[in-house]
Formats: sequence, structure tokens, C-alpha cells
Amino acid sequence: MGFLKSLFTPLTNTSYKTSSILVAINVLLAIVLWQVFASGGLIPTPLKIGQAALRIMASNGFYDNFFISLTLTLKGMSYSILIALVICYLSLIPFFNPLAKFVIKCRYLTLTGLIFLFTLLTSDGHNLKMGLLIFGIVPFFVTSFLSIIDSINEQEYELCKTLRMNNWQTLLEVVIIGKLDMVFEVMRQNFAIAWMMITMVEGLSMSEGGLGTMLIKSNKYIDLGSVFAILLIIFAIGVFFDYLLKNLRMWLFPYTKLQVRK
Amino acid sequence: MVISIHKITGQEIMYQKEEIILKVENIHLAYDRLILRDVSFEVHNITRPNLQQGQVVSLIGRSGIGKTQLFKILSGLQNPTSGKVLIGSDLHPVVEGEVGIVPQNYILFNHRSILDNLNLGLRGSINKLNDHEKIELINKYASKFGLSEHLKKYPMQLSGGQRQRVSIIQQILTGNKFILLDEPFSGLDPVIKDKVVELLINISELDELNTLVIVSHDLENSLAISDTAFILANQENQEGATITEKIDLMEMGLTWDREIKTKKKFQDLVAEMKFKM
Repeated sequence: MGFLKSLFTPLTNTSYKTSSILVAINVLLAIVLWQVFASGGLIPTPLKIGQAALRIMASNGFYDNFFISLTLTLKGMSYSILIALVICYLSLIPFFNPLAKFVIKCRYLTLTGLIFLFTLLTSDGHNLKMGLLIFGIVPFFVTSFLSIIDSINEQEYELCKTLRMNNWQTLLEVVIIGKLDMVFEVMRQNFAIAWMMITMVEGLSMSEGGLGTMLIKSNKYIDLGSVFAILLIIFAIGVFFDYLLKNLRMWLFPYTKLQVRK
Repeated sequence: MVISIHKITGQEIMYQKEEIILKVENIHLAYDRLILRDVSFEVHNITRPNLQQGQVVSLIGRSGIGKTQLFKILSGLQNPTSGKVLIGSDLHPVVEGEVGIVPQNYILFNHRSILDNLNLGLRGSINKLNDHEKIELINKYASKFGLSEHLKKYPMQLSGGQRQRVSIIQQILTGNKFILLDEPFSGLDPVIKDKVVELLINISELDELNTLVIVSHDLENSLAISDTAFILANQENQEGATITEKIDLMEMGLTWDREIKTKKKFQDLVAEMKFKM
């Protein structure tokens, strides 16, 4: 009874096993409710979505489309991270600080209005997609990482001064090396944004294919079973990469295990 | 140069007060109100014949009186509104990096192991050593202060007391002779406090030129290990804290005695100073 009560008490620590069981129960409950309430309606049931997902995964072009989307996302993420990190580190140099502040504000720019500009600036569909993806991710990455830099304890900088480090050495030790693990955390958060954007940018140039293209085509024919199935596949891949990046961070930077709430 | 002799437990101990090595002149600090007012004091180099021993100086005051600000000013990390801090035998203005600091929460680099943290202390050291000598020195200190088995751990894996020791050793490795400690007894139970007292005495004994400056509100423990203490307090009808009392414990015969807390003269001094804080 006490155990059950603890599951509904705020800030209770649960074991890994308990957490896994809770996830399974929640998922099962959601699927059952969905199956019961969606039967006979316009929205496909989980069973139909599952069958459609299996059919799509067994189809010829699926893996080609999947790798096109994944390559585009990873390539876009890599460029975005590099650009964003340079902007973040430069923001600590007073001359470049306004640039970072401007990039942060670019979150409020809608990509749709800039498509024409990017079409003029880029040579082909692939570069257009890449350009929009980078332009979409960088402001969010810079915002997240700068808030991490802002939260660095002032005493860490003071410690560097007492250890006779100059400003460049302090930047390297406290910000670049000290927060390298957080780059992975920000990457994890922004992979979700990139993955979410992929369907939008792929719709702009459909000749290369990709999961976004598959989704748009299914939408066009109101094939809701396939639409939900592709969404499920996109969701599952996103969750997998989230898990992968989280564990990669813990593996590369073991001290992060000591800092996170279990 | 002054040569003094004082008696502790019937034993004559000779010491010399030599040149001034720390001089604080008319420090004022104001934000929207005056925090520190005309803070002035000086610390002499103390030597004892045939003995290698540094000294411990305490700045004692109530919580919230401006001790931490004074701590930062003394370390050169913060500029006062007016006044200056001069250090060394040539009494030059202090610059950041010349004075080691051990903050209250023992800040270390959490992304580095204890060994790497100590190595960073040596990287900026005034004593240039090769890699072999560095490891040897770190092992020597780690062994002396019970940290040998923790060198591969991360700071978050250590207890508060262990982190405090790492923090102090890191500062010693830089070659700084002046080390400021902010509230080293804060939040510790009585047994651990006694261990910290022992640790600080050991640190002061590492080098004749080591000068530990303790900034604390813990009157008893601070006085128990100090050669000189200054009381930082507010004066009636005057804004801003200032030095209201200088206690020369050497002159009073209340130093260099590990059992000092049990002595009635010492207990009387603590009781008297409590009213002056």
C-alpha cells in the first residue's frame, strides 16, 4: 500500500525497474483507450496503424527514404552544432556578443516567409533543405547553450583566476571543456527540433524522397492509416536517438551520472 | 624587529615579528549602502628559531557583516570603492592569482578528476616542475592529507571535508603563500571541526611563509588556531563594518598549543570577544 502511495507522491525516487514498469503500464493504457474509443471512427485504431507500419517497413522504398531523412538530419545537425558552438563561444568576446543576441532573436522568424529567399540563395533542392534546416536549428541551439553558459557559477571563473589562468585558458577550461557534456544534452534536445522540421523541409523539394515526402503523399490521398504509421515510425526513431544521445553523453562524460537526479 | 618570549604551559617559546607581509589600508566598500568602512590592519612575518611554521590570521565577524566581500577584496578578485591591499615583503598591490582562495562551498572543477584538479594547481605554479616531479608532489600531498585513494574520483564523489582538503591542496600547489579560507568551519559537526583545525595547523606548518587567512564567524575555532585575529564588527551609530579589535594571541601566550581550547584563559578570551562581535 505504501509503495502504491509513493507512486502518486511528488519527488519520490523510483528504481529503474519501477520506472520501466510504469512506462509500460501507461503505454498499454493509452493503446487500450485508443483502440476502444477509435473503433469505427475516422481515426485509425492502433491495430490498423501497427499493420500499416509493418507494411510500410516491408515496402521497397522505405529504407531509402529513411536513410535520406536520417542523413539530411544528421548532416544538418552537424553543421548547425558547429555554427552554433562558434557563435556561443564568440559571444563571450564582447565584440561578437551582439551577433549571438541577434541569432537568439531569430527564433521568432518564421521559416515559411524565408523560403523564397533561400531558394534564390541555394543552387538545388538539397541545399535548400539543408539551409532551411540549419537556419531553423541554430537559433534554438544557441539559445539553449547560452543559457547553460549564463548559469555557470561565478566562482568557477574566480577559481581559474586564483590558478593563474588567463582569460583564454579560463574560457577553454570552464566553458569549452567544462560544458562539453552539455553540448550533448543540447544536441539531444535539438535533435527533436531537427527531426520535427525534416518533414516540413522535405515537403519543399520532394524529388530526393524521404520520410517527409512519404508523409505528404499519404496525406494527399487521405490514407490516414499510413499517415499515422509513418508518424509512429518517425516518433520511434526520434525516441531511439534521444536515448542514444543521452547514453552517449553518460558514456563519454561519466561525471554527468553524478549530477543528474535519479 | 621585535623578539618576544611568552610562556605556554611553563615552556618558553621565542618568536620574532619581522617585516609586514600583508597591509590593508583604509578599505571602503559601498554599493547602495556602505558595507565596509575604513578597514585597516597589518600582518607581520612571524618566525620561530629552529622551527618551520607559517601563521594563521583570522578575520572574525557575524554573518552578513561583509566578510565575504572583504575576502574577495583581499584576494584581488574584487576592487574596493577606495583603499588598497598590499602584500609580500615589498608590499605591492595584490593582483588576482597571488592569493589562493578556498570558498565556503569548496569549488572544484566537477568535470575533472581529483588528480586533474590538483594538476591544474600545478600548471599555473610559480615552481616549474616536470611531469614526474608533479606526480610525486601530488602523491606526497595526497598521502599526507588522506586523499591517495580518491585521486581518480570526481569531486562529486567526495564528502565535503575531502573536497575542502582537495581545494586547499590545489591552492598550495600553485605556490601561493597566502591562502584565504572563507568559513572553513561552517556546517561541520564538532568532530569534523577539530579535524579541520588540525588540517589548517598542518597546512600552516608546511612552509614558513605560508599565511592562512581565515574569514569566519566561528569565534572559538578561529581563535584556537590563530596567531593574530581581527574582529570585524559594526560600531554604534556608524554605517559599515570595520576592524574593532585586534587580538595578538602570541603576545597573550595563546598560540601553538593544540590543547588551547581547554585553557581557562582562552575560554575567558572567547567569552569576552563574543560581546564585542
